[in-house]
Amino acid sequence: MKIIVNIDVMMAKRKISAGELAERIGITPANLSILKNGKAKAIRFSTLMALCRELRCQPGDLLAFQDDPEEES
Amino acid sequence: MIRMHVTKDMSIRLTLACVAVFAVFLLAADLFAFRWIGWYVAWRGMRPESVLKMTVTLYAASVFGWVCLWALWRLLKNIKAERVFDGENVRLLRAISWCCAFAALIFCVSGVYYPPFFFAGAAAAFMMLIVRVVKNVFQQAIEMKSELDLTI
Repeated sequence: MKIIVNIDVMMAKRKISAGELAERIGITPANLSILKNGKAKAIRFSTLMALCRELRCQPGDLLAFQDDPEEES
Repeated sequence: MIRMHVTKDMSIRLTLACVAVFAVFLLAADLFAFRWIGWYVAWRGMRPESVLKMTVTLYAASVFGWVCLWALWRLLKNIKAERVFDGENVRLLRAISWCCAFAALIFCVSGVYYPPFFFAGAAAAFMMLIVRVVKNVFQQAIEMKSELDLTI
């Protein structure tokens, strides 16, 4: 059971580099990398809002819920 | 702000100095305990075999005293280097609490032949309790910090 982060998919669709996106949304490239690699434990609404604004998408386009029944047992 | 920083740094230095002073006391105790115990036993009119028992008790406890002082020194050095919420500090606090527990055990067992040692044992056990609570707080704080660090 986990949240999948699809930022790289949207970045590819909008043809935007990680460095440029990090600069536009005001976070460090290292933090964007943590977010992209699914290592983040939480995301602030302000960051999500900035991502949606810059990538012209909805939060649901960036985040997806994946149910993994085996993980729970 | 600068004043606060200086004060904090000086406070750590003062604590390090206190640890060094305790190390000097412990070294003195290790070097002269045998003689002091001899005098004390003679002064109190205790049985001569008490000298050996008390010496064993104090030297056994002193081993844990050294480990405690070494762990405190490392802990303070880490704090001085601004590595406060670090896994190593939790390990050091755990080592200190175990040292207190072993010292408490030694003193409580020794209290059988010299009852005042029970007080030292109780003090060491209480110290163990305090250090364990601090260790638990540190552990929780590290978890919270890692969560905060990974909130983007």
